Amino acid sequence: MKFKDYYEILGVPRSATQDDIKRAYRKLARKYHPDVSKLADAEMRFKELGEANAVLKDPEKRAAYDQMGSQWKTGQEFQPPPGWDTGFEFTGGDFGADPGADHSDFFEALFGSQGRAGPRATRHVQGRDHHAKVLIDLADAYHGAQRSISLRMPALDAQGRVTLQERRLDVSIPKGVRAGQHLRLAGQGGPGLDGGAAGDLYLEIAFSPHPQFRADGRDVYLDLPLAPWEAALGASVTAPTPDGPVQLTIPPNSVAGRQLRMKGRGIPGTPPGDLYAVLTIALPPADSDGARKTYRAMAMAFDFNPRSHLEG
Amino acid sequence: MNQITYIQGLVVEETVHLTLMELCQACSAEEEHVLTWVFEGVLEPIGESPLDWRFGGESLRRARLALRLSRDLEVNPPGVALALDLLDEIAALRAQLLRRGK
Repeated sequence: MKFKDYYEILGVPRSATQDDIKRAYRKLARKYHPDVSKLADAEMRFKELGEANAVLKDPEKRAAYDQMGSQWKTGQEFQPPPGWDTGFEFTGGDFGADPGADHSDFFEALFGSQGRAGPRATRHVQGRDHHAKVLIDLADAYHGAQRSISLRMPALDAQGRVTLQERRLDVSIPKGVRAGQHLRLAGQGGPGLDGGAAGDLYLEIAFSPHPQFRADGRDVYLDLPLAPWEAALGASVTAPTPDGPVQLTIPPNSVAGRQLRMKGRGIPGTPPGDLYAVLTIALPPADSDGARKTYRAMAMAFDFNPRSHLEG
Repeated sequence: MNQITYIQGLVVEETVHLTLMELCQACSAEEEHVLTWVFEGVLEPIGESPLDWRFGGESLRRARLALRLSRDLEVNPPGVALALDLLDEIAALRAQLLRRGK
């Protein structure tokens, strides 16, 4: 087990006051909250912050943690000394903000996992609803699909400790589902207590990134590169769509950034979304005498100043 | 022979309207929190009184987000309402960048 320096995580000295700790936690929590931050490691950082705060904001736990001394460094191999917490009486209760949050081994070794099973329910209580995010392919939304997904769920073991249990679910992905929508799977959430019904499982849909297509709600976007002469003179080009390639007519005098709408070729539904080809213009490289000669001929042929609007 | 039975899910946003009780159950929120968020305009149910309220699927996402913000960051309800509006705006701007392929 690695030692965790909770002071270092919050960026405060060991002499920090409770107010300093609160301020430091709030500031970092806002920065790394997974709903607000787009940083890749935000969730991990936020969890670490929550754990550090849970210990340092509580004078009892902080005193016990401090007692281990300041010689420990983050990442050092660590075992709590026997009886390290003797003489401390924990009032228990609120260990972390999130019931069911999985704390690090380090936290568990020091403070156990009590106080996380939630209020003991009495009778006929409906199970909790669970939530999970699943990644599907854009093609699944176009055609519908049957997918096996595996979910990791915290569950209490016989000793009352929280362990992560792997669960496999075979789910039908309905045609037309969009990113950000939720699928409700009735009765697949937490088990009910004493004869209560099981909770539901909500799956939040997200698309795995696609090299060509970008979905925004019902609509789908695609970058379509054109040669300068195709954009200028108009052309008929082949464009990929999630349903297979189509012939697309490019009107003459098309400029980069122009969007060509293929009505109804977005994500299916009532109404279906549209597919947009966003035009880009690719320049052939001037890497041969012939190419350079052609560019020079163009310069002669056009009275064209692309910067005329910049001149006062 | 082993036949896999695929579980059929309902798309909440399109087919389901949640009552106040169901929304509380779905996001493990206290009823009073949900009432406050409706009062602050974070959630916009259809219906006259709390007993008739029906929440669309979008409310599920917003209620869970509101719950996490108030719990994790100790943001008060007007603060939650402001944060959600700003997050919506950021999401709209990000979608605009995405459409342009950025």
